[in-house]
Amino acid sequence: MLSKKTYDRLGETVYQTTLTNGLKVLMVPKAGFHKTFAIMTTDYGAMDNEFVPRGQTASVRFPDGIAHFLEHKLFEKKDHDAFDLFGKYGASANAFTGFTQTSYLFATTSHLKENLEILLDFVQDPYFTAATVNKEKGIIGQEIQMYDDDPGWQSYFGMIGHLYPKEPLHIDIAGTVDSIDKITADDLYAAYNTFYHPSNMNLIIVGQLDPEETLAWITANQDAKTFAPNESITRIPSAQAQPADIVPTTTRHLTLTRPKVNIGLRGFDEVPAGRDGLTYSVAVSLMFDLLFNDTGDNYLRLYDANVIDDSFGYDFQVQRGAHFAQLAGDTDQPEQFASELTAILKDAPAQLAAAKLQFDLVKREAIGRIVGAINSVEGIANQYDGPLFDGATIFDELAILEQLTFDELLTAAKAFLDQSQATVYTILP
Amino acid sequence: MHFRIKDGVTLDLLPTKQFKTIGIKVDFVAPLQATAITARALLAQVLETSTAAYPTQKALARELSRLYGASFGISVIKLGTKHVIRLTCSLVDEQYLDNFNDQQPLFEQGMALLKEVLFAPLLPNGNFDPMTFTQQRQNLLTAIKSLDDDKQYLANRRLQELLFTGQPTQAMSALGDTHVLNDLSATDVLGTYHDMLANDAVHVAVVGDVDEDRAQAAMADWPLADRTITDATPYYRWSLRDHVQNGDDEAPVVQAKLNLAYHLPIYRDDADFMAAVVFNAAFGGTPLSLLFTNVREKASLAYYASSGYNPFTGTLSVQTGIQAENQQRVEAIIAEQLTAVQQGNLAEDLLAEVKASLLNARLAALDSPQRRLTGLLNTQLTHLHEPLADWQKKLDAITVADVARVAQQVTLQATYCLHGGVQGAK
Repeated sequence: MLSKKTYDRLGETVYQTTLTNGLKVLMVPKAGFHKTFAIMTTDYGAMDNEFVPRGQTASVRFPDGIAHFLEHKLFEKKDHDAFDLFGKYGASANAFTGFTQTSYLFATTSHLKENLEILLDFVQDPYFTAATVNKEKGIIGQEIQMYDDDPGWQSYFGMIGHLYPKEPLHIDIAGTVDSIDKITADDLYAAYNTFYHPSNMNLIIVGQLDPEETLAWITANQDAKTFAPNESITRIPSAQAQPADIVPTTTRHLTLTRPKVNIGLRGFDEVPAGRDGLTYSVAVSLMFDLLFNDTGDNYLRLYDANVIDDSFGYDFQVQRGAHFAQLAGDTDQPEQFASELTAILKDAPAQLAAAKLQFDLVKREAIGRIVGAINSVEGIANQYDGPLFDGATIFDELAILEQLTFDELLTAAKAFLDQSQATVYTILP
Repeated sequence: MHFRIKDGVTLDLLPTKQFKTIGIKVDFVAPLQATAITARALLAQVLETSTAAYPTQKALARELSRLYGASFGISVIKLGTKHVIRLTCSLVDEQYLDNFNDQQPLFEQGMALLKEVLFAPLLPNGNFDPMTFTQQRQNLLTAIKSLDDDKQYLANRRLQELLFTGQPTQAMSALGDTHVLNDLSATDVLGTYHDMLANDAVHVAVVGDVDEDRAQAAMADWPLADRTITDATPYYRWSLRDHVQNGDDEAPVVQAKLNLAYHLPIYRDDADFMAAVVFNAAFGGTPLSLLFTNVREKASLAYYASSGYNPFTGTLSVQTGIQAENQQRVEAIIAEQLTAVQQGNLAEDLLAEVKASLLNARLAALDSPQRRLTGLLNTQLTHLHEPLADWQKKLDAITVADVARVAQQVTLQATYCLHGGVQGAK
């Protein structure tokens, strides 16, 4: 029932199983650790705002921000707040909503069984009323406004909005003050019933734990509940922007001391399915290291010319239905920042060929980064992308990275860059 | 394990097989002086950039990559009456690597790199390289200015300036002052560097699968001489003012940031220290707290509302994000919570939960190599060694009356509001 995969050199073991109700459970015991971290995730996020509600036949377009709203409201029950239940045991609980997932988590150093039951019970027992939904609108309204004052947030989401002008990604994950005002308790139930079925969720537990005992607790909890039969979910794909729809440059003004530039690069190529997708993701990330990290010539040249400084950073991410890179930083020379970095990207094939000798170096660095993440229970759990990469864990990612060749990197880099489209998003004082 | 390496130089070793990395921390501790804060912040920035053997950022970055992405950094910290320049380095423990065939283990190579950074900086003509120096001075300048883009940070800094008017060491940020920075020369910072090496208390710490012999051998050739450490108190004591200082500024913010500062003269070595920690956790230090519950959840008045307690400066501070027109209501609710605790109105349930959460946090910190290392500085400065069991016993013993006694010593001293121009209800 419980499958076991060991990673000998790392001294780590992953236990996993899928319960009869469809819930996928994955456990990683960590010897010597005091803490246990558990995170329960549904494959549902801000992107999924049009779908066929479970039990119905027609699709419905829901107000923007509904996934995030649901996340907030799931904690509140008729006579208590689930948050307080964790508090009784001193555990810290939290939740977050992304474009393609919503997660509920806790960390504890005692009473794992009780905390797990609280997590499973509050996630699996929704309670939404008109009164509680309306009260939440004030709190989330404040949250949205807080991000209005955060130039870093504005820069990142401004960039994403221009990469995905027709997709739901162009709207804040939390929605807008107007859109959340339209959300009703019935909407929340429709979304909940569709996406919070155990078969659309996974539960990862890492840290101080006994796998057999922990699974027995979870199984007993789940067996005592009744779930609707598992049905496939019909998401209605949003409109898709074409490369020509992406505005090359945008400038806006905010009060801040230094200009911020964020260059987004959207991939229009197809990410390979399953584990190959992870290899692709690792390879493209390393490509950015080769082109832009501080071991390279580009970085030093631009740093010495004051085009970039210590605030410069970049990343590449793959999510369900979207993959993109960002290169961002504060700079007093926003135009040079954009033109220099864009020129490097255009010249990438030649640049990469010239940087071949640095491949082992950036690979070593990436290996070190992953080994460092394995030190933390959160690092292990958060690296799990569920169905996206066919259940690969951080340990699988390390193995993929160690085996990656320079040619594989070039192939992935070409696939991504050849069909990518850039947007430059600048915020000026 | 604690070792005295030289007078004023110590080594702490935390041997454990729990982690896949080996963490190193080196603290240089000096008395906090307003004139030196900025120069020390700039020194940290310059030392972090290059060394004689790795004369460019690229060369240093490549060495760090070669060491399997060793994470290395130098930061500055203000703690009470002390200023700390902190080097940290985390290295992979090579027993977890495939195909590792370097001649030396990564820990020894990391210690050798730290030695380069500290004792062989890039000094081409007996002084810091002019280009590096000018560039890093500019970088620090922009870093200090950019911090103000974070409006929560800005509101907090303005509050500190208001609270500690006329007390520059406390009013100033750990990164220093932009006016001082503009006037600093390479020669000034070189003087600061020599002063640091000769006179600062040095605390080295290592966490990971390393034994005593390896740890001591790895720093045996560090050229650190004996030094005399005047063991002055790390606590900053200040006197209560008669009037609350109020300040506000208009800035283009959608959400106003309202911060409050209080005098709470209980320090790390006071008998009531643990009670003060519990008080803060119950008042606003945790998501279970009175502020979070009453300002955010019940009244829906704020997205965040929390408090922080500094046992080295005897201050308690409150941070909230609100609608400017609600300022008076929010201040009233905060004051009500404080009064309630002062009168002993604190639910036993909440007290128990807050204690459980503090214990949870303390145990969880043991799972982080960084926090294992940084936690040692407290011990170094206060000479308070408290085994976990004793700590827990003290925590368990705290009563509502203890918390009320602490709360009664809390006195509002300053309020600051950064708002979008809608004049508050005042």
